[in-house]
Amino acid sequence: MSGGKVKRHSGIVRFIHCSVAISTFLLIFSGLGQLPLYKRYMVDQLPGLSWASNFYITLLIHYVAAAWLVFASIMHVVYHALRKEFDLLPRRGDLKESWVVIKAMFGRGKEPPADKYLPEQRLAYAYMAFSFFLVIITGFIKVLKNFPSIALPYPVWQWATNLHNVGTVLVILGILAHLAAFALKPNRPLILSMITGYVSEEYARHRHPLWYERISKKRDERKALGG
Amino acid sequence: MSDGLMNRREFIKRSFLSGATAALVLSGLNGWEDAEAATLQVGSLIDLTRCDGCEYRKIPACVEACREANKRYFPNPRKEDLKPYWPQKNYEDWSTKQNITNRLTPYNWTFVQKVEVEHKGNKTVVYIPRRCMHCDNPPCAKLCPFSAQEKKPEGPVIIDPEICFGGAKCREVCPWHIPQRQAGVGPYLKFAPKFAGGGVMYKCTLCYDRILQGKLPACVEACPRQAISFGPKEEMRREAHRRAGAIGGYIYGEKENGGTSTFYVSAVPFEAIHRALVAAGQQPAMPVGVPNFLDTPNGIGQAVLLAPVAGLLAAGVAVYKGMKYKEMKGGE
Repeated sequence: MSGGKVKRHSGIVRFIHCSVAISTFLLIFSGLGQLPLYKRYMVDQLPGLSWASNFYITLLIHYVAAAWLVFASIMHVVYHALRKEFDLLPRRGDLKESWVVIKAMFGRGKEPPADKYLPEQRLAYAYMAFSFFLVIITGFIKVLKNFPSIALPYPVWQWATNLHNVGTVLVILGILAHLAAFALKPNRPLILSMITGYVSEEYARHRHPLWYERISKKRDERKALGG
Repeated sequence: MSDGLMNRREFIKRSFLSGATAALVLSGLNGWEDAEAATLQVGSLIDLTRCDGCEYRKIPACVEACREANKRYFPNPRKEDLKPYWPQKNYEDWSTKQNITNRLTPYNWTFVQKVEVEHKGNKTVVYIPRRCMHCDNPPCAKLCPFSAQEKKPEGPVIIDPEICFGGAKCREVCPWHIPQRQAGVGPYLKFAPKFAGGGVMYKCTLCYDRILQGKLPACVEACPRQAISFGPKEEMRREAHRRAGAIGGYIYGEKENGGTSTFYVSAVPFEAIHRALVAAGQQPAMPVGVPNFLDTPNGIGQAVLLAPVAGLLAAGVAVYKGMKYKEMKGGE
């Protein structure tokens, strides 16, 4: 907390978020190319995208991006588990409270005091975590079945393929909702915070009073100790 | 020959039955890995020194027999379902060209190429029966976005017409571009036929239905010169080596695309055959040692499998460094 700014995301968190965002974009683009879509819909005729309908190139991109996503996802889970940071996990009553927050964003009623994350952010996290878990697990099976030395039974491939496709749709819907949230003005300071790591003290006090109170208390304690 | 054929048939039937029984028993004991291993893998041997392309017939015997044996699986599109793949203006329709026998189509799953090959100053005419090679690690099946193709434990690669959307990716990732598309049939018609899907892909099944009944594939049974043999894959491989050794010849299909269930034997090098096919503009050619589409991706696949370990280590280092930093700052 300094100069009217409050640190909301550490460098590690921003690195992981950036990794997940870029690798997921690459995975969606290359995955749609594997469907196949880009030749039929002439995406490969757009300037600079002649490679898009090449299955070999899109498959290589998909694999590299998959390795990056898995790396970032595991790092995220283990990093926060080791630090015992579970602020993003859904809590009892989040569904009901989310409705109140959403109504408040449209000027109906008052937002209940929030911790570091809003209840709908915790629910959105659970949704995204489930969707990513699904695509990663099924993606692993798909990678395994491509090895010549591994003979997975056909029903396993088939289930993995279908659930991978379902998971992809869930991830795309989640990302669309995630981006749509920024259409609402109260959420916009969070765009910059994911880049710089900081939000204004005013935003923290107003939007996340419980979190603000906690970190203020810590700051006061440090000051009292002469830190 | 008749006795030999009967013995062979009986052998295949018994091998399948014993394989299937062993598979069932083992699947109950040690799981699918053992069950798959216990299933007999089949293969075929195509001896180009014997094939004469049935020059004296209108249609080669193997082609005719294949068409007859598989006609019940051929597509039967309704005219009103044949529409361009929007926004493209074209669609692939072979239903009005079902009589074509000199190339692969959804109605013609095998054909015989005729090519003049020059080798050591001599010119030789070579006849080459062509169809799916039933690869060991088939990219067509592995990369299908809907898993519409299955590599059967016995070896044949089969397309399920109830699942296939006809995107034709399988044709592109196959080194020989074997599967062929027919528009106006298949599950895509039930969804958004104008915007997604293009029909169903068709290709040789190695007469999987027949071999499960202990019969020979139709092409094998029909060949009047016994140019095509069928049996346990390893036996076919051994026979291919024995035959190639005996004539000082060459083998194709053993290494190509990472290995297949089809072994061609020729007296002239396949490099020369490939060159001749390319020069004559004939498809598919026979690129020697053609790599598998999945070779490089599988290399990166190992990195995908190791990524969780890397993520775990990175998280551990990050947490440790954070703790050290806190200590330095006096427990802040």
